[in-house]
Amino acid sequence: MGSFIVRRLWHGLLVVFGVSLTVFVVTRLFGDPVSLMLPLSASAEQRLAFAQQIGLDQPLFVQFLRFLGDLATFDFGQSLWQRRPAIEVVFERLPMTLMLIGAGLGTAIVLSIPLGMIAALRPGGLVDRIIVSTGLLGLSMPQFWVGLLLIMVFAVQLRLLPTSGMGTPMHLILPAVTLALTPLARLTMLVRSSMIDELNQQYVRTVKAKGLPFSHILRVHTLRNILISFLTLTGWELISTLAGYTVVVETVFAWPGLGLTAVQAIQRGDLFLMQAIVFVIALLIVLINIVLDIIFKMIDPRIDLN
Amino acid sequence: MNTKFALLLAGTALSLSLGVAAPAFAQSITIAIGSEPSTLDPHLRDDGGERQVNDNIYETLMARTPDAELVPGLAAAEPTQVDETTWEIKLREGITFHNGEPFNADSVVASVERMIDPATNSEQMAYFGTIAGAEKVDDYTVHILTTGPDPILPSRMYWLKMIPPVYAQEGDLAAAPVGTGPYKFVSWNRGDTIALEANEDYWDGAPQIDDVTYRFVGEAGTRLSGLMAGEFDIITNLLPEFTTAVPKFAAVEGLETSVFVLGIDNELTSDPLVREALNLAIDREAMVESLFAGYATIAQGHHINPRAFGFNDSLESYAYDPERARQLIEEAGATGKTLQVIGESGRWLKDREQIETVAGYWSQTGLAVDVQIQEFSQYLDSLMGDGPRPDSIFIANSNELLDADREGSYIYHMDGAASSNSDAEMAALIDEARETTDVEARQALYDEVFQHAHDLNYTVPLFNLQDIYGMSTRMEWQPRTDAKMLIKEMTVSE
Repeated sequence: MGSFIVRRLWHGLLVVFGVSLTVFVVTRLFGDPVSLMLPLSASAEQRLAFAQQIGLDQPLFVQFLRFLGDLATFDFGQSLWQRRPAIEVVFERLPMTLMLIGAGLGTAIVLSIPLGMIAALRPGGLVDRIIVSTGLLGLSMPQFWVGLLLIMVFAVQLRLLPTSGMGTPMHLILPAVTLALTPLARLTMLVRSSMIDELNQQYVRTVKAKGLPFSHILRVHTLRNILISFLTLTGWELISTLAGYTVVVETVFAWPGLGLTAVQAIQRGDLFLMQAIVFVIALLIVLINIVLDIIFKMIDPRIDLN
Repeated sequence: MNTKFALLLAGTALSLSLGVAAPAFAQSITIAIGSEPSTLDPHLRDDGGERQVNDNIYETLMARTPDAELVPGLAAAEPTQVDETTWEIKLREGITFHNGEPFNADSVVASVERMIDPATNSEQMAYFGTIAGAEKVDDYTVHILTTGPDPILPSRMYWLKMIPPVYAQEGDLAAAPVGTGPYKFVSWNRGDTIALEANEDYWDGAPQIDDVTYRFVGEAGTRLSGLMAGEFDIITNLLPEFTTAVPKFAAVEGLETSVFVLGIDNELTSDPLVREALNLAIDREAMVESLFAGYATIAQGHHINPRAFGFNDSLESYAYDPERARQLIEEAGATGKTLQVIGESGRWLKDREQIETVAGYWSQTGLAVDVQIQEFSQYLDSLMGDGPRPDSIFIANSNELLDADREGSYIYHMDGAASSNSDAEMAALIDEARETTDVEARQALYDEVFQHAHDLNYTVPLFNLQDIYGMSTRMEWQPRTDAKMLIKEMTVSE
């Protein structure tokens, strides 16, 4: 196990490095932060002076060497847009995103298991059909649209919840629900179909015949068997949420997390902040994958990590 | 904060259900702006979000009335010229910063020096490039030195915020600003809110509204929802089509003017007949109604902001004459030739819609129109790069200092960054206007320049865009031409 973790960490570092390298190249190929930052009327001399100040007048390989040196010390330079260390901005906003993901994905996980199981008990029945069609609806509605719809109904019409922002637990509800919808639908579908498969297995018939209570069969036997695929999809949802869904949801709800900050950094051509955000997200994704592998091994000792 | 918010929500809900004005608790308002200030240091960045907050905390030597007339602010009188490169400014006495530091000549010198210090690396240097330094004459008199004759200096002084010198050294201007203005900084909850409170000791009388909370909401739809839900009292950048949906709104002619700059040396657009046709082909009145619901003003034959110094009042907007336009194109032998139209999307109000509508009108003249909507940095390269000039390129130019030198030296002057002509005579006139300090002589120069550019159809001026703000019913406020949201000019009716 120990050697496995070391190997995966090493491998993960390579991935993070590769991602950072890509971001470095892409951000410098497209978009000129100097012209995005300065007023349109700035003179050529002012543009040059600004470029010199942030080191963008240097040849690309000099910039790259400096970038590597800084990376080793976890220094991503000053955010051009906020004029303070980029990594400081990232660590300030990351907790907001994690809070949102915790609430949203947490809801999805907690609800998907009972919903999927209930649907699987009587496939084709009324309850199953309601759950399946609601799930399909959840999957096919774009998140920004769901977000705006929820705002219109619960904030503007009913005035039960605030439209946007943060500060109280009430502010968390609408963005978390919006975020939860897609993963909830997908996870529920997965639990349902794997459960239907499991319940049709021979061993279920056997233990039923043995006279074990049905709830015991569900809890001890079938649930454990679907756990690996459930966790795989959960991990995948976590990663998609971290690197994608939050961008949309945070923008709609003006939730000041890392996703919204990433959008703003791109709009403003803030190379250094973009690099810091991508680096931290990539690092998190690598760590999530390692943790998942370890959990798999714990659940099913047959899994060979090598 | 939570209880205040709940109170506000409850109060608004109550007032709406009972159909009466909201109960009178301490007058506090919430304003939703499009982007969070990147810093609260007033000297570093060219950032609209930062200005929207800091305009209430800081003041400048010169100020503007709501309809943009330049008047003394912290200065006691209009600046006077000592010699070609020296302006003398007398200061108001007895003003203190929020932390107790006195406002005097030392503060002005420190503010000017901090701004132009290369170490500050200010993005605002585009507005202050001509300033060489500042000297204290006595406690309440300063000299501002310029690198050459600079008639725009008084307008520049309307942009340079005055900071307290001691606090600037020892305190944290970026996180906790201290100015002389009508509002004092209270707190900044990053990502969420900035709170200000009234400065009871303000030299020009304490303002009416006690507390202000800024919220940062980038999505136009979410801002609108917040207004409809009673959470916000003012939202910025309301889209024209939503004016019918909100409780109350106000529109004002803003700083931006949209225009197509024509490539005067390009094969097709070098023909004056073609350029005239391009101007005549557009039904600007129809566009005002269809795109802006009436909230835009047709540019008067040149694309200078109507409130700016140098605006040529005698020019009229180009007529709409599609027949004549078609004839001209035929006469020029240009029928079927391809006109390149370059623009961007998402930066300015209805930019893509303006570009595509105009391109539609142009294609009716018999020209083949090639529209390219470019990604913004690629667009900037088309606009200001070293490559060949486009036949036509769209821009909504903002004139912050409200002086025609902005458009003059940026677009009309042959060496301007966004210029597409090589008219040396016109450039000489613009250069002269740049250094002429006599007001009437300077206006006469600009009149000549813009008449000339108008007659030769160097550009296709479109609209002076209006800024529209959504407001709650209790707000009383007339927005300003210069887009500053000064809380001291707002009142709440209870």
